[in-house]
This record gives sequence, C-alpha cells and structure tokens, in this order.
Amino acid sequence: MQAHWRRIAKYKYLYLLLLPGFAWYLVYKYLPMYGVIIAFKDFNFGKGIWDSPWVGWKHFDFLFGYPDFYRIVKNTILINVYELLFSFPAPIILALLLNELKNLAFKRSIQTIVYFPHFLSWVVFGGIVIQLLSPNDGLVNQLRELFGWGSVHYMTQSDYFRPIIIGSLILKETGWLAIIYLAALSAIDPEQYEAATIDGATRMQKLVHVTLPGIRNTIVILLILKIGNMMDYGFEQIYVMYNPTVYDVGDVLSTYIYRVGLQDAQFSLTTAIGLFQSVIGFFLIWGANRLAQRFSDNSIW
Amino acid sequence: MSKKIQPGNAVIGAVLIGFAFMTFMPFYYVIMASISDPARIREGELLLWPQGLDLTAYTIILQNERFITSFGNTLARTGLGLAINLSLQLTFAYALSKRYLPGQKFFMIFTIITMLFNGGIIPTYLVVKGTGLIDTIWALVIPAAISTWNVILLKSFFENIPASLEESARIDGANDLSIFARIYLPLSTASIATIGLFIAVQHWNTYMDAVIYINTASKQVLQIFLRDMVVQLEMAAVLGDMGVVNETSSLSVRTASIFLVALPIIIVYPFIQRYFVKGVMLGAVKG
Repeated sequence: MQAHWRRIAKYKYLYLLLLPGFAWYLVYKYLPMYGVIIAFKDFNFGKGIWDSPWVGWKHFDFLFGYPDFYRIVKNTILINVYELLFSFPAPIILALLLNELKNLAFKRSIQTIVYFPHFLSWVVFGGIVIQLLSPNDGLVNQLRELFGWGSVHYMTQSDYFRPIIIGSLILKETGWLAIIYLAALSAIDPEQYEAATIDGATRMQKLVHVTLPGIRNTIVILLILKIGNMMDYGFEQIYVMYNPTVYDVGDVLSTYIYRVGLQDAQFSLTTAIGLFQSVIGFFLIWGANRLAQRFSDNSIW
Repeated sequence: MSKKIQPGNAVIGAVLIGFAFMTFMPFYYVIMASISDPARIREGELLLWPQGLDLTAYTIILQNERFITSFGNTLARTGLGLAINLSLQLTFAYALSKRYLPGQKFFMIFTIITMLFNGGIIPTYLVVKGTGLIDTIWALVIPAAISTWNVILLKSFFENIPASLEESARIDGANDLSIFARIYLPLSTASIATIGLFIAVQHWNTYMDAVIYINTASKQVLQIFLRDMVVQLEMAAVLGDMGVVNETSSLSVRTASIFLVALPIIIVYPFIQRYFVKGVMLGAVKG
C-alpha cells in the first residue's frame, strides 16, 4: 500500500496536470450521461435528477405512438441518406481530380478557393444562400425574371428544402473534406504508378487499379463514421436555413429536441428522443463496422 | 515543358474551375451587393462589379448598438475560450502522453468513451444549469472546453518529442511541471498554434451553445445577431413589414452584415489555411 502511494507521489505533478481536464470530463461529459436516466422519469426542476419520480417506459410508449416522432426521425434519416448519396462522394471526386493536376500553382489556387467556405459559419454561409434565393432581390430569382420564368420563394417550399440543404453542404464542405483523401492519395507509392506505366496502363486503368485501391481504406473508414451518424444532422445548418413553413421536411431530431425540450420544457420526453437517437446510432456504427470487417480488412476498432 | 494539353486534362481543369467558381461566386456576389446602390440592384442589374458605390449599409450596422455588443461578446468568448480551452487541453493531453504514468490506460479509455457516448442536448443543458452557467459568458466557454479530438492530436504531438530530452532534464533535477513548461511547450509552438486556431475559429463561428444557453439579448453573440438580421429581415421583406429599414436598403444591410461577420475569418484565412491543412493531415494519418 505504501509503495503504491509512493508511486503516485512520484508522479504528483503529472496528476496535477491531469486533474482539471479529468474533473471537466466528469462534470460535463459523464454527469450528462448519468442525467440520461430522466428519460425514465418525470423530470421536474424542484426535485432534480435523482428525486424526480420514475415512470419506466412511459415516454417511449408515448413516442412510439406519436406521429411527430416518426416525422422527425424520417426527416433526419432522409437528409442523411441524401447526404450519403450526393455529398459523400463529392470530396472523393474532387480529390481525384485535384490529384490529376500537374500544374502545382493551379492546383493550389483551386484548393485555396474551395477550402475557404469551410471556415465560414453556417450563419454566414446559410445567410448567403438565403440571400441568393430571396424572392425579392436574390440573384437566382433575378435570373429567372430575366428569362421570364417568374420568381420562386425557395426557402418556404418543402420540395426545395432538402436539395437546398444538401446543395449548400456540398458547396461549403466538399473542398475541406477532400483534404483527407488528398492525404491518402499522397501516401500512394509513386513506384506503383511507374510500374503501371511500364506495363502500358492507361490513365483510366491507373485510376481503377492503383489510385482507388490506395484510398479504399480511407473511404471505408469515413463511410463507417458517416453511417454511425445517420441519426444526427448538424443543428447549426438546419437552424439557420429552416423556418416554420418547412418544418414538415426540415425538422430533424436536434432541432426538435431544442424546440420542444427547452422552449416547451419537455425535458424527459426529449431526453428519451436523444437516448433513442444514441442507441440507434451506436448500433449503426457497430453494424457498419462488422460489415466492413467481413468484406474488407479494415474497421475503426 | 511545351507539351500539348491533353483533352482529359482540359476537362479536369474545366470541372475544377467550374466548381471553384460556384463556391466563390455567392460570396463575391454578397460583397458586391453590400457596397452597391440598393436601388440599382432591385432593378435587377447583375453584379459583376459594384453598381454605384454606396457604403451606407456599413455605417448603419457599425452604429447599431446590438451589433457592437454582440461583436464584443463574441470577441470576449473567443479570447476567454482560447485561453481556457487551450490550457485545459494542453495540460490534459500532456499527462495522457506519458505512457509510464500509472493509470494512463484507464484515463485514455475514460477519454475515448466520451467520443462514443454522450448525454445529449437536454442532460447537458441540465448540468450547465446545475453548475450555474446559464446566461453567462462561461456557458460559451466551459461546457465545450475540451475537444477530445484535439486532445488526441496534441497527445500525439507530445509523444513525438524525443524522450531523451525529458530524461536529461530530469537528471538535472527538473520536475514534471518545469519539463512541461520549459521543454515540451516551447518545442510544440507550431502544434499549439494549429490547435489554437482551430479553437479560435470554432468560437467565432459556433452559435448552437448561444441559442441554448444565453437568454439575454445584451449577452448574445455575433452569429445570433446575423441570424436575426438575415432570416428575420428576409421574412419581414417577404411579409412586407420592414419597420426601420426600408425595403430598398434591406438587401445592402443584410449583405453588409454577412460580410462584416465573415471579415475576421477572411483576414486570418491566408495565414491559417496551411496550419489547418496540416492539422487535418495529421489527424488523418493518426486516425
């Protein structure tokens, strides 16, 4: 026992450095995990988390019979499916195109431009999109008027909401996300290309047999992470770009939890939604990882 | 190097230029609209260059009281956040990087678990409320003070510094605190700058925490000011209820606010781009 304490005393300064961070994780990461139990209680502020009465599965029973719940789950999954189909491949294509460039100055200029929007906040970028699509003085509608097509109020029509969300996501983040693929591409051994050239491979054959296998692991890992995120969509983007007229398609789990949970003080109910979201998310990432292990030799753990 | 341009390369170049143009054009349009004469934009003149220089919108916003307080609040959260978040992350990551520290493995798992599981919006809100931070600037600094991702990056930076430096300092009688402060910190200035920029840009841009934790208008951040400006003016314009700002200048005011909020990012972008790319590359290799 004494030897144990002496060992700890020896490292006292390192533990001292560790302590503030450790305390932070306990309070702001682990305490909320404990707080999740209010999904099975009727939380009230006077009684606090522990003393609020247990109600078992009441909130879940309510949710599974509640049309709004299916609507927001469906919205969240659909936006994510669109993201997976249209936005996920975009940085791969961009990286492959950039990788073909031999002129470094040109390559760098393109990179400087396409990385930039990532650094802007969603309020700035979303604000620009809203401005461009404005029915009164937006560029898109001015062009439509020019051709005599009449103006469309894009931001208030449900049909346009998902394409606008995914389109702006592609414009804002594609450049940035391409960096990871560019890093993977730069790690491919140039000798493989030389060997392929000697064997008379065409540009397309090199792409299929050298380049794509070279970044396959990166694609698989990012795909697993993306699938694990299918129940979650960024609050900051949606909250700027949606409005009550498009709640039917635009309301996702995070925005709903905020509106109903905090503004209408439905703490327990929305915690139950959050818990449902985490559990599904965990199984998704676990399942995607299992599939990746079975069909290829990589996984995230 | 007078090689003939292959048709394939021409297509690739054209696609890339097209994409870069699409990314850049909206932003350029907004800047042009903000400095143009509003009446001429409403008449539908297209903006490849400013139409009749008019900076009234900027003077309106720069004199707006809510803009000034919000700007101050965002500046304060960025400064405080940078100092507090960086020190917490550096000290924690340093201790974690010492594999010989008894319990290091436990602390590592303790940290990683939070990447897989989290309490979610409402339980976190209750903890922030319970710790008395609601409606104070600390709610924007403390609850997100540590990014586990940054900790892992910093930890790997520290691990790459040769252990022999630490050993020789120890022989000279230095303790862990002075080894950290005198050897490791000076050797990692580039990495610290990278993580610091990540943190600062994040603080400037984020607003979800302000939506959730801040209730008083005078404590609100710049991004919320902009959201109200753009979204509400847009809705007001649609509803025909413009209040103080008349319909013609609304476009200039909206676009000028967008530009002003983005301005600090535009100014630092040329300097930070390289650091960020390096940070992501490192993360990609480690991950």
